[in-house]
Amino acid sequence: MSNSFVLRAEERGFDKIVSTGATAAYVGGHPDAFITRWSSFNFHDYQDGRPGFGRIRVFGDETFNSPGCSYSMHRHHNFIISAIVLEGKLTHLNTLGNIDELLPGDFYAFSAGSGGFHEELNMQSEPMKAIYLWLIPDRLLLPPTYARGHFDATAGMNRITTLIGSDEGAVPIPQDARVARLVSDAPGTYQYEPRSRGHGVYVFVVEGEVVCDGTLLARRDSKAVWGVDEFVCRTSGGADVLFVETIL
Amino acid sequence: MTDDVFKRWLCLGCGFSYDEALGLPEHGIAPGTRWRDIPVDWCCPDCGTPKSRFEMVEIGYAAGQPVADIAA
Repeated sequence: MSNSFVLRAEERGFDKIVSTGATAAYVGGHPDAFITRWSSFNFHDYQDGRPGFGRIRVFGDETFNSPGCSYSMHRHHNFIISAIVLEGKLTHLNTLGNIDELLPGDFYAFSAGSGGFHEELNMQSEPMKAIYLWLIPDRLLLPPTYARGHFDATAGMNRITTLIGSDEGAVPIPQDARVARLVSDAPGTYQYEPRSRGHGVYVFVVEGEVVCDGTLLARRDSKAVWGVDEFVCRTSGGADVLFVETIL
Repeated sequence: MTDDVFKRWLCLGCGFSYDEALGLPEHGIAPGTRWRDIPVDWCCPDCGTPKSRFEMVEIGYAAGQPVADIAA
């Protein structure tokens, strides 16, 4: 039996988190910096939506505004946290010893496991825009890991490329999950085959529009599909789409 | 008697995990303390997320963790 839900861009939760007052320790770069976050699933003060999908708990469409804007250094356990940079430059620091600068097309996967701190920082005047994804791991208190990768939109044009997961060339994570991306500049039809009917796929339109499993999705709309052997996405021209596949 | 099985809970703010079998002795919660017996106003010791925003998880521990033997 197939199932799905559609989440329109404006139906997501919205937070503006300022770097002054009660959230000053959480968001750096006071007084002017602030983060905006559109949440596809319940997170922090936004609790009116879905709790998650499969192993996904956070899917945040975030913008770091003003130089110095950051999530200050703070601790995590267990969650696999990934950032996919869309615009600007992200400086990521973690207590595994990584200080990384990530540009559009770059992404990382940080598995916090038994414990690790990280900071997410925009040092530029231009806003930094990224998708933040959190997944529950398949084991608690794993050794922490960090790896980065790059999506080459030119080489990967008009095909679905796996960024994170067990596919060759992808950044591995300790979960039965996969993140893939499609950038398209021409009309096209793409079949997506989940690993099994026990897997679901959360499809998020970064830019452009796509007809996903029969539903027209505009910019920042999303749809989850599960219980199927395959489904079809059609682009009519330019589109940038993320696919997050997860065991259910 | 599944009700007797110790359960684990995950903080949805930061991923901190609470295990009923282990408690949190360093925070005054004895091993064996059930989730339901922790006060409703208790918060995550790492990030301050309220108890209501933890999720019960059925996930085993990584190999090599000192607690792995009690929590296959």
